[in-house]
Order: sequence, then C-alpha cells, then structure tokens
Amino acid sequence: MYKKPCGVFDETYEQDSALVRTGYRWLMLVLLLACLFGVLPLFAGNYFMDAMINIAIMVIAALGLQIIIGFTGQVSLGHAAFMAVGAYTSAMLSTHLGMSFWIAMPLAALFAGLLGILIAMPALRIRGFYVAVTTLAAHYIIMWLILHGGNLTKGVSGMTAGEIRIGSFAFDNELKFYYLAMLFAATAVFLTSNMMRTKIGRAMIAVRDNDLAAEFMGINVFKTKVTAFFLSSLYAGVAGSLLAHYQGIITVDQFTLMDSIWMLAMLIIGGATITGAIMGVVFLKILQQVVLFGAPMIGHVFPIFAGSAVAAFMQIFFGAVIILFLIFEPRGLFHRWQITLSTFRLWPFPY
Amino acid sequence: MDFFLQIFTNGILTGFVYALMALAIVIIYKSSSIFNFAHGSLVGLCTFFVWQMVVGWGLPLYVAFFFELAVIAALAYTLQQLVLKPLTGQPLMAAIMATIALGELLSGIVVLFWPGPGRVLPVWIKLSILKFGPVVISSESLTNFIVCAICFAVFLLFFQKTRLGLAMRGTAEDHTLAQSEGVKVDLIFVVSWFVAILVAAIGGVLMSSLYGVSYESLHALGMKALAVVILGGMESILGALIGGLIIGVVESLGSGYLDPLVGGGFSEVAPYIVLLIVLIFRPYGLFGYKRIERV
Repeated sequence: MYKKPCGVFDETYEQDSALVRTGYRWLMLVLLLACLFGVLPLFAGNYFMDAMINIAIMVIAALGLQIIIGFTGQVSLGHAAFMAVGAYTSAMLSTHLGMSFWIAMPLAALFAGLLGILIAMPALRIRGFYVAVTTLAAHYIIMWLILHGGNLTKGVSGMTAGEIRIGSFAFDNELKFYYLAMLFAATAVFLTSNMMRTKIGRAMIAVRDNDLAAEFMGINVFKTKVTAFFLSSLYAGVAGSLLAHYQGIITVDQFTLMDSIWMLAMLIIGGATITGAIMGVVFLKILQQVVLFGAPMIGHVFPIFAGSAVAAFMQIFFGAVIILFLIFEPRGLFHRWQITLSTFRLWPFPY
Repeated sequence: MDFFLQIFTNGILTGFVYALMALAIVIIYKSSSIFNFAHGSLVGLCTFFVWQMVVGWGLPLYVAFFFELAVIAALAYTLQQLVLKPLTGQPLMAAIMATIALGELLSGIVVLFWPGPGRVLPVWIKLSILKFGPVVISSESLTNFIVCAICFAVFLLFFQKTRLGLAMRGTAEDHTLAQSEGVKVDLIFVVSWFVAILVAAIGGVLMSSLYGVSYESLHALGMKALAVVILGGMESILGALIGGLIIGVVESLGSGYLDPLVGGGFSEVAPYIVLLIVLIFRPYGLFGYKRIERV
C-alpha cells in the first residue's frame, strides 16, 4: 500500500480512489514513461533493446507469478510451463492455421488460463508444500506433452511463429518490437495494480493471510484460488506468446524448471509487490549479463573451469544471491528502496 | 503374464531406492519442517564426490568411506548453521526458495567440477543373477534392494531404540518442548541433515550402478523423491515406503506397456499423473497428517 507523505489529504472520492495520488508521483510517472518510450530508444543499440524486450516480457510473466504467490500465497513451480503453453499455442495457431498474432495471442492466453484452472482443481484442499509439488508435477506433464506432441508441436526441433503485423506494418526489428513489448508490460502493470484494489484482489490477500479466516468472512476460497491460478496462467500465456513471436522460433529448452525458479527468484529479490517484481526482473537480468561477461574471464584465470564456466557460475551466483537475499533482506529490494526514500524524506531527523 | 511379473518386480526393486530417497526428505521435514527441494542436487553432489575419491584420486574404499562421512558431516553442519538456521520462522515461500536456491548452488558446483558426460563407478558387489520361475533379477537390482532394505531397517531401529533417534522424534513433535526436556535441538537438525545427505549418497551410488554417474538422472531421482513424499504424506515413514513402491511400479508398468504406444519417456511423467490424481482424493497424501487449525 502506498503511504502518502504527511500533510497530503484526500478531499474527494476521486482522490481517494486514484491510482496515482500526488502531483509529484504524476511527474515521476510521466518522466519514467517518457524515458522508456521516448529517450531510451534514441540512444540504445540492438543488444540493449533485446535485453529490454526480454525484461518487458519477463515483467508480464513475473506479475502473473506475483498474483499467485505474492497475493494469493500459493507457491507455484510450474510458471514456465504455462508460459510454454502460451508460446506453443500461439505459435501453433499462427503456423498451422495462419492466424494473426492479434487473434492467436488472446486464444493462447485463454488456453493457458484454462489449463491453470485444471491444475488448480486439487488446490481447494491442498496447501503449502503440496501445492508446490503439484505444480512441479504439472510442469513435468505439460513439458512432456509438448515434447511428444508430434507434428503438432514439432517436438525437439522447435516451433516457428510468424511475425506480428498490423495491416502492412510489421514489428520486424528490435526497436519496433520494443514499443509493443513495453506497451504490453505497462498495460499489465496498470491492470494488476488496479485489480488488487477490487473485490477479487482483496479476497486473494485475505486467502493468503489465512484461508480459514477468509472462508469464515464469507470469501469463496475455492473461487478465489481458481481465479488466481487462472489470471496467473493468463499472464504467463501472454508473456509466452509475445516471446514466441519475438524470437520467431521456440524450443522446449526455453521453458525449463530453472526458468520457473528464476521467476520465483525475481519475486524474492524484488520483494512481493508489483514494483518489487519489476525490480527483481531488472536485477536478475543485470546479474545474468554480469555472469555472461564475467564467467569467461574466470575461465581464463582458472583453465580447469573453462569448459562449463558460464553455466556453472550462473547457477552458483544465482543460488548464492537468493540465499543472501533470504537471509539479509527477506522483504526484497523494494523494501530497501522504501526505507531509503523515507530516510531522505525525513532527513535530517531519524524518524 | 511373465512380462507383467518381470516389470512388476523391476518396479518394486526400483521403488525401494525411491523410498529410501523419500525417507531422507521425510527425516528433514519431520525434524525441522523444511521440505528439501535440494535433494536432487545433494544426490548428484555426493555421488560425484564418491566417484572423484574412488576413481579420480584412486583412494581405497574404506578411506573413501570415512572421508565421505566427514565431508557429509561438514556439509550438514554448514548448511544448517549458515543457511537454514537464519531462516527459522520465515514464511513458506522462504523455506521453499532457500532449499531450491541451495540446490541451484550445489548443482552449479557439480557442473563446475565435473563437466561433460557421465562417469562410471566400479562394481563393488557382484551377486549372481536370480531366477524365480519366469522372473529374472539382475545383480545390480538385487544389490540395490538389499542395501535399501538394510538401510530402512537400520533407520527404523535407530528411531525406535537409540537415544538420538528418540530425541529426533521428540524434536519432530515440538521444538520448544524437546528443548525444555534437555534435547539440543540445534544438534538434532544437524544430525537429521547428516542422515539425509548420507541417505542421498547411498541412493546416488546405488542408482549409478544402473545408469552410470550422470547428473541428469541423479537429479531426476531426487526430484522424483519429492513426488514420492507428497504421495505418501509428508510426515510418514511408512508413507515414504509405500509411495516409493507405488511410484516405482507405476513407472515400470508405464515403460513396459505405455511407452511403446505413446512414445518414449511416458514412464517419466506417469508418476506425476498418479500423484495429481491421488491428491484430488487424499489431499494430505496417503498417510499424511490432516491439518487441524484454529483461527
């Protein structure tokens, strides 16, 4: 919840229910959007644009995971599989049936969401570790189905997806796709932050805090959990579909258990809020780039490690960073950021 | 019928290894309420270390055994004191992520030190091939079965008869109460991690006799153990045994009857399908405790 600075009061109902509360925040938001959509593409090269597109796509997926974990409190280890469902459905519709992205993407997202509901069915009665392992089981089953889909999913050789176009305008280079991906990501952030203030969003938080208590308060726990799983998989489906059409070709290797864990780590590192999820995505992307450039250097210094340095150090750093965050900053970067902000706001007083 | 009996027996024999792996997870869960997702990586790490000592450095077997025990003790102590102790009382997500991250870290170490394809461990115990009518049991499977049965028996005796085992069961019931009765709960956590990693090493070496020391198959073994534990119920040692046998048999039957029909690898996912179906009807596994909670 956003805390207003001292002395700012809501005088009308519109002010009370506004998403952006103060003029200062409006200014920051406009500056951020101007930076993302106007300034950044002017200076950035293709490599950086590619990284930004990946970040935008991962933000959408991480927000989906945030709905199920951060707001509803059900730990899901199968998020990458739902992304795969979205990606493959979208790719199949566009390749086999020749559908345009604008029809294939919603259908793919819907299908991923419905599959999410199917997996959530046992979730009424199970909780905690049982949910985590159930979604793990779902991951293995879904990935097996995709791998053995025969001509439908093209198995190990990967699936192609057509490029996105509106009329004769095609999103065929990084710059054009960047705008599209950022637009989707911004919309997802906006929708999610609004949804959390509606009845279903608050019901999710109640279920997370204590599902029995929530049920006594008259919340339909089953419906809430199923909706959360549906929405979460829907986001994953959109992200997967975007990824498929951005890369043009997708393989099962892109949606491993490791990818689900990366997304979980984004929430741990960022902190389980919407802003936190974005921060986590960016932080892990930076870590990934550092390892990609740094690991070959370690391989140079210690030649015995040269063979597998990148893959190995990626996992080692990744595991170490999560453990360090869990021990020293379990509430994530966002919490740290808020502390920093309020320190500056109150300076020179300690509180 | 002969074919059925053969793959059924194979399933039972493999199931014992799964049951042993599941036992390791149950021991940790019962004592410290942490569900060990790092089990797959621990299995891999310990087995590769055994390979390194026996084949890589050429140590004699008994030296390697004591060295392995020392390393496992050090690993258990480090894990408990550095990683898991600071996380006591944290929410579910932290408990899950800590062991997952640990698993990533350890598997990174394995990939770093032992890259490339799998290794082969020497054959230590050579038993003759058994024949019961139409059913043939290979030497490796028989060894696995015997070692697992001995381990199960030893652990049951350990929990029933020894002072330390009783203290571990007491800790599982209630940490505070156990501590007030003079049980060193910290030590119990380290011991349960030690036992669990030891079991992981035993299971890894056993499975390596069948498939060679390959990280993927060892890691998959540990992950399958998670399904076994959930199927049997997280608190139950009997559940680990029954769950392991069920998963072993389902996998074996799947590979015998369904793989030729639907393409290879179905036996890999069949256990997970069984798990999902069982959870719909028995949400706490077959022998798990029902949650009774007050608000």
